Amino acid sequence: MFASISSAIVVGAQGHPVRVEVHVGQGLPGFSIGGRPDDSVREARDRTRAAILSSGLPFPKIKITVNLAPSGDRKTGAGLDLAIAMGILAASEVVSPESIERLAFIGEVGLDGSVRGVAGVAPMVGALGELDVVVPIASAAEAGVAALGAVRLVANLGELVAVLNGLIPWPDHNVPQSEPEPERLADLAEVQGQPMARHALEIAAAGGHHLLMVGPPGAGKTMLASRLPGLLPVLDRDQALEATMVISAAGVPLSPGGLVTRPPFRAPHHTATSAALIGGGSGTARPGEVSLAHAGALFLDEIAEFAPKVLDGLRQPLEDRRIVVSRSGINAVLPADFLLVAAMNPCPCGGGAPGECLCNPTELHRYVRRLSGPLLDRFDLRVNVHRPSVDDLLAHEPAESTAVVAERVQAARVRALSRQGCLNRSLSGSQLDEFAPINGPGRAVLRHELENGRLSARGYHRIRRVARSIADLRSTSSEVVDDEAVHLALGLRAAFTKVLPMGRVA
Amino acid sequence: MSSDVPDAGYLAALAGFDRMTVGRLRHLVRGRPAPEAYGMAAGTHRPSPAIAAVFAKDCTLAEAWRQSAQRRDPRECWEASVAAGVRVLTPADPSVPPQLSTDPACPAVLFVRGNLGALDARRVGIVGTRNATQAGRATAARFGCELAEAGVVVLSGLARGIDAAAHRGALSCPTATPAAVVGCGLDRPYPKQNSDLWDAIAARGVLISEWPVGTSPDPFRFPLRNRILAALVEVLVVVESRDRGGSLITVREAADRSIDVMAVPGSVHSRASEGTNKLLADGAIAATETADVLMALGLDHRRAGRARFDARTPLAGVDADVYAACRESPRTIDAIMLLTGAAIGEAAMLLARLEGAGWLIETGGWFEAVDEWAELA
Repeated sequence: MFASISSAIVVGAQGHPVRVEVHVGQGLPGFSIGGRPDDSVREARDRTRAAILSSGLPFPKIKITVNLAPSGDRKTGAGLDLAIAMGILAASEVVSPESIERLAFIGEVGLDGSVRGVAGVAPMVGALGELDVVVPIASAAEAGVAALGAVRLVANLGELVAVLNGLIPWPDHNVPQSEPEPERLADLAEVQGQPMARHALEIAAAGGHHLLMVGPPGAGKTMLASRLPGLLPVLDRDQALEATMVISAAGVPLSPGGLVTRPPFRAPHHTATSAALIGGGSGTARPGEVSLAHAGALFLDEIAEFAPKVLDGLRQPLEDRRIVVSRSGINAVLPADFLLVAAMNPCPCGGGAPGECLCNPTELHRYVRRLSGPLLDRFDLRVNVHRPSVDDLLAHEPAESTAVVAERVQAARVRALSRQGCLNRSLSGSQLDEFAPINGPGRAVLRHELENGRLSARGYHRIRRVARSIADLRSTSSEVVDDEAVHLALGLRAAFTKVLPMGRVA
Repeated sequence: MSSDVPDAGYLAALAGFDRMTVGRLRHLVRGRPAPEAYGMAAGTHRPSPAIAAVFAKDCTLAEAWRQSAQRRDPRECWEASVAAGVRVLTPADPSVPPQLSTDPACPAVLFVRGNLGALDARRVGIVGTRNATQAGRATAARFGCELAEAGVVVLSGLARGIDAAAHRGALSCPTATPAAVVGCGLDRPYPKQNSDLWDAIAARGVLISEWPVGTSPDPFRFPLRNRILAALVEVLVVVESRDRGGSLITVREAADRSIDVMAVPGSVHSRASEGTNKLLADGAIAATETADVLMALGLDHRRAGRARFDARTPLAGVDADVYAACRESPRTIDAIMLLTGAAIGEAAMLLARLEGAGWLIETGGWFEAVDEWAELA
């Protein structure tokens, strides 16, 4: 009259094992669920009842009590449906308790008895350790990524009961193996001209430097940004697993192979709320865009149009590379190590060549100030992007393709990692002294900029980090950063230096 | 109402009434003493038939003026003007230049800071867009300076961009007596960053407005001040203007008065020169150097055109090419790479070198040439 079933829930991007305890006993007919279920879990009462009856199985007409242990934590989502249904069937001795001892169940049940996929199967399976897991067919790939035990697929409740009662063997469901599409990434070869912006993109990819592109509408900012994922190296096993867990937890469809191998690229619209961008939601800790972009790139087009409060929420993940989402009864730590790429117009009217802008200085200031100083400070690269001229479009030989640039990026990353064990973005002041020494003329240039108040102390480190990446990208990489790299680094963070008062940013 | 307040106090008070227009003010003060005009507007005198007709057309006007009268006491207005060093004149005053006092659109009251006698010379107006290019500002400064050196009074509107550059150019000549017509109260420098210019012009030349002290710079006042500027000049030079720029209002006012309009030609690619190039197509005289303007004035042009000392080391080779290209039109680093065939690092070095030596200036990723007149702009 009692059964205890293994299942799991997901909080943030982390799976937590849950014991579904079911008691079927004397009392007034009823069905109650304890252990802090939310609405979607409580609805399981109706779903499981209908599903069991539809499958032609008996539903006990006495008191059913379900407890979800540990009872102190909030439970959300329909993923516990299958475990509750199995608990009822086991407690009413429709299936034998022995047959389900080594199994865990994840999935939502339909009123017709079918078993449906849910979000977050990968982290849930990961939390269940070496148990064999029973999951819906749709979740096969996700479960496969994280499972240590066997993965059993079921289509419906009736089939599952038949298997457990030994009537049929575990069915061999053919997972719809759609041919893994050759990923078609936008290629850099399609970007004509724009050598400066292309170079900035390459440096951003090589050093992990956050990039802000400032340019008039039609300059190709979005086009450039969408070429970034192709430049980033393929994820290693750990990164791939982390990224897969987050993406699974958010319920975003995964590729047929299950594992996320390419760096993700997320481009939320500028009306995104704080919960959508950072994570959270009322009563849940859904991963936000910063987590979905983990190990990849987050592109904020028209960054000045985002709500200032939402943007300021980016500061913590940019600093800590993870985000702590706290709601009542929920505390989730989500990974959020991403490369931030943002684009904006130089001014409200769109700007352009000198003399084209119609904004007065006050409007201009107000516009730029929508990005808080600390946030603007995070961008190592602040590059002006211009509309390509006719000459640009016609005179250039075919532009370099993504493959060529990605190779340089990979080589530069290898150099940085073997030299200092981290990307150039993360170099601290003392590390810069050690790993990015600057030659005499380069030092003179920086001294001049510092003395003229055109460079702050923080800006000085930023320039040195970017110059290190520029030097790393050369075919003849040297340990010393030369003055050419310094000049280029200065040119690559020129946007807004003249609009903003010194000291606030630089 | 005290009797020891001069007429000017009544005029200053009256000019600041709500919904006072240029035409209404002229009706009020024409042919009657200022206290009486003030009384009619304030409702203490019986209005003349003409004024009564104005009141009848707009039934809320009389009430609005009555309320304005409570706020604008003639004595206070007079004291505010005196405190700001502003004189209040009617066109009948002998110091007002005849070309203004006889102008059909002459304001009924003028507010003046400085010496109107400064206008007793040849007068050229230099106007243009507020969002000017570096080259446009340098040209305005050059014209301002060279015209002032030739003894010509340079008039402009004290706005940002071309106006300010022309004034600064003129002020750089020690003997200049510059003049400005503005669209707000003379105690309210606008834009604020030009307040040094206001004081310098008031000290050495003259500042003119048709609005009493304390009047804020509302957008509708600027087109109005352009007619005064047009009435005061003999030749109007437009340095840079957009297709529908405000300087073209000044041009229209000047054309109505048969005053010569000159325009500085610009690149067909520059949006800041769209208006001036159109003016040239419509028959304006091209002004490429100061001598052109002096010629239009009928002055001996051989006195002008003195070269300005350039302290910078002359450029050679690729540096000179890049400077020349940027002088033609602003360029981006991408364009410079295309022009010189340099790799990105070399191009960055080259531009940094030219910027450091003062040949180029960068704004928003565009490199503009700095010519020897730029320091005045």
